[in-house]
Amino acid sequence: MGRPPPITNRVRALREARAMSQAALGEAIGVTRQTIIAIEQGRYSPSLESAFRIARHFGVGLEEVFGWEAD
Amino acid sequence: MSFREKSAWVMAALMAVTGLYYFSIVRSASQALGTTAPAAVAIVFVMLVVIGSIIAQVVLALTSPREASSPADERERLVTQRAGHWSGLLLATCAVTALGHFLVRGDGSMLFHLVMGSLIVSQIAEYAFQIALLRRSV
Repeated sequence: MGRPPPITNRVRALREARAMSQAALGEAIGVTRQTIIAIEQGRYSPSLESAFRIARHFGVGLEEVFGWEAD
Repeated sequence: MSFREKSAWVMAALMAVTGLYYFSIVRSASQALGTTAPAAVAIVFVMLVVIGSIIAQVVLALTSPREASSPADERERLVTQRAGHWSGLLLATCAVTALGHFLVRGDGSMLFHLVMGSLIVSQIAEYAFQIALLRRSV
């Protein structure tokens, strides 16, 4: 809670590029639509497992989806 | 609103309503008897909570069958853990306060009602923490 985590992500851009809904992405990686919304808004950092699932689902590397704010 | 949040709202409302009913019957029974109401008055409250919870969960499951049958995801599990931790601290504080009251007054029936009240308050607080954390995304 409080300050958002310093982890950035391109989940929304990658999802929209594939014309995919938040619910469909959530279902694909095993989380709720609300969790996808929270990840996209940078209010929640997913577990390493979910991060890998997202990256693998988009067929890209982990660092192409997630980054550190200072980078 | 997610299924977990809806469920937390419904259960918090149920606990608040039944909790208020419990305290109203304890109060009226205590006034009628001229002493603290016996612990047995809690039986009605417990039955109301059990029956009310079953009905509420069935209705929620019927309105959102898919979400109801799916397990909590990682964020929801984290929310549940944190809300449980904070409500546990509240329960401990209220229980210790109730024990302090018992040490001073030595009223066993009052101790029972205060501990029951602590359980009700901490349960409502747990649902409130869940709602707040789900909205803030942990």
